[in-house]
Amino acid sequence: MIKIENLHANINGKEILKGINLEVKAGEIHAIMGPNGSGKSTLASVLAGKEDYEVTEGKVTFQDKDLIELSAEDRAREGLFLAFQYPVEIPGVSNINFLKTAVNEIREYRGEEPLSAKDFLALVKEKQALVEFDKKLANRSVNEGFSGGEKKRNEVFQMAMLNPKLGLLDETDSGLDIDALRIVANGVNKIKSNDNAFVVITHYQRLLDYIVPDFVHVLYNGRIVKSGDKSLALELEEKGYDWIKEEAKTLA
Amino acid sequence: MSSTMILEEKDKFLLNFEGQDFSFEAKSFLKKRESASQALRKLNFPTTKEEEWKYTRVNGILKHPFSPQTAVNVPDIKHTLIPNWDGNLMVFINGFYSAKHSKIITDLDESDVVISTISEAKKKHTSIMDQLYGIVAGYKDSVFTALNTAYANDGLFLYLPKNTKLQEPIHVLFLSDGEDTSSQPRNFILAENGSKATVTISYQSLDDSPAFTNGVTEVIAKDNANISINKIQLENESTFHVSKEEIVQHTGSQVNINTITLSGKLVRNDLNFKLDGKNTTSNLNGLYITNDQQHVDNHSKVFHKKVGGVSNELYKGILSGKSTGVFNGKVFVEKEAQQTNAFQSNKNILLSDDATINSKPELEIYADDVKCSHGSTTGQFDEEAVFYLRARGIGEMSARKLLVSAFAGEVTEKIDHEITREYVEQMIQRKFQDINE
Repeated sequence: MIKIENLHANINGKEILKGINLEVKAGEIHAIMGPNGSGKSTLASVLAGKEDYEVTEGKVTFQDKDLIELSAEDRAREGLFLAFQYPVEIPGVSNINFLKTAVNEIREYRGEEPLSAKDFLALVKEKQALVEFDKKLANRSVNEGFSGGEKKRNEVFQMAMLNPKLGLLDETDSGLDIDALRIVANGVNKIKSNDNAFVVITHYQRLLDYIVPDFVHVLYNGRIVKSGDKSLALELEEKGYDWIKEEAKTLA
Repeated sequence: MSSTMILEEKDKFLLNFEGQDFSFEAKSFLKKRESASQALRKLNFPTTKEEEWKYTRVNGILKHPFSPQTAVNVPDIKHTLIPNWDGNLMVFINGFYSAKHSKIITDLDESDVVISTISEAKKKHTSIMDQLYGIVAGYKDSVFTALNTAYANDGLFLYLPKNTKLQEPIHVLFLSDGEDTSSQPRNFILAENGSKATVTISYQSLDDSPAFTNGVTEVIAKDNANISINKIQLENESTFHVSKEEIVQHTGSQVNINTITLSGKLVRNDLNFKLDGKNTTSNLNGLYITNDQQHVDNHSKVFHKKVGGVSNELYKGILSGKSTGVFNGKVFVEKEAQQTNAFQSNKNILLSDDATINSKPELEIYADDVKCSHGSTTGQFDEEAVFYLRARGIGEMSARKLLVSAFAGEVTEKIDHEITREYVEQMIQRKFQDINE
């Protein structure tokens, strides 16, 4: 699905990612954990194609394509989806209109006919139900005046609509109460299949009770310093990150 | 620049206008022209030293040998029409009425509504015209209004009898054709008590040559009348456009003006509202999208003179290239005008480092029981929003278009005639496409 090799990236001349290696296969869920400032969100932004970051070294192969060479929109059209940590409010652009444009531009890229109004609405209805997204919110301006939880649910709703190959969840759990967390996690679990994959970036183990990862990686100082199964997340929850930092220092 | 030079330029400029033959008009109208002509001799074209014209240089107009044309025959104007137009259509080319391209669908025999031209009205509706034409739009302090009044060509004459609600909207299309053409469009609307109508006035060029359009529209809205005007400016990039709407509102009346400016080399709009009755409503909305070296100046004055008036003003601009915009809105609340609600807002997006906006909302309040607010914001494109849309598979260009539509939407949604609104939205998209090419 995606293969990241020795990825280095800068922002404003400062190196944040210092050689990331990660391979995610279809049907897998990977969790990336790590202390604040370790580069988790940078990794998500770099993969999604945010132009503020400069990739200085390394390679990312997504669906046999060189991801770094693709524009942000083409990455999405190839099936990459970033659920934002801070979804943007866009007054005046209706959620539905926006999704319709997105769905049809993706279809056009893949050489498919645009969805008819009827088919599109049927899809909206189906996915709304699937991820328990309030119909009223779907008709409002994108994220405008949404609560933190509603914004995150909108991200999951959009993900359901666009049906990506790879979903990147950037701290989707931040700012969520336990009910919202459960709904968001259920949505992801319903979208999950053997054909797609997820990378869940999180600071806390809590989300991983609901979205159970096959692999857990610890990102520290721009590198993955430790990988394991879901028990690693529990260990981190219990012991914090200090021992990881110590280990990393010893290794360096 | 010295004032004598302006004077010489002015005399030279006016030479082209003198000697036009209006002798076919009745004496009373010739007298109106002559008074304006006298005023014109005394007035000077404004310089940037005048507060009202601080940011808008009009001497470019004087440097062209603009002159009035005779009627021309243009076979095809299809590309300038509003698609799916469902109402009346009146076409004026270089200021002259083109019956061939026009179409009046309202059954005028069935009612006392008059949808006609100014030139016809001067013959057939002399009492209204004698009494009211050229009165609302004073020219004693405006060289452009004086010029128009002295040398007005033609335009819409609309008379709405008491309680007449005109079902069919009117599209008044002013077209300019030929090198250095000057036209002086002139419209007059008299809406009697309880009447209602929607008028869309658009300005376009038939070629790329420089032209000068200097329009004046007078509106009198009697008690509880309701008039909506959508003004759409689409002239070519070498045309100078100056126009003025003078509105008088009586008790309980409502007048809406939506001014959409998408092209033209230099555009100056003056909207003056005199709220001469209680509980009036006035909505002034504007949208300007500029690029290259375009200059768009929107001036407005709203005079609240009586109790309980409401005025809402929303102007939004998207400026790119080296273009400049000016917003100057003044609201005066006189002592008698208690319980006035006046709101003014000007919002701009600058798409380039070289684009400029001069924004000045002003309030002058002499009453003590009023609610008034004004504000102005200027910012950049929200790049975070662009990225968010792109991250969902929407191409960069479409993403920017969506955001422009959203920004403009707050103004275009005020256009209550759907076909006009759709047309404006289309023109906005086309303009934005041009900017990005």
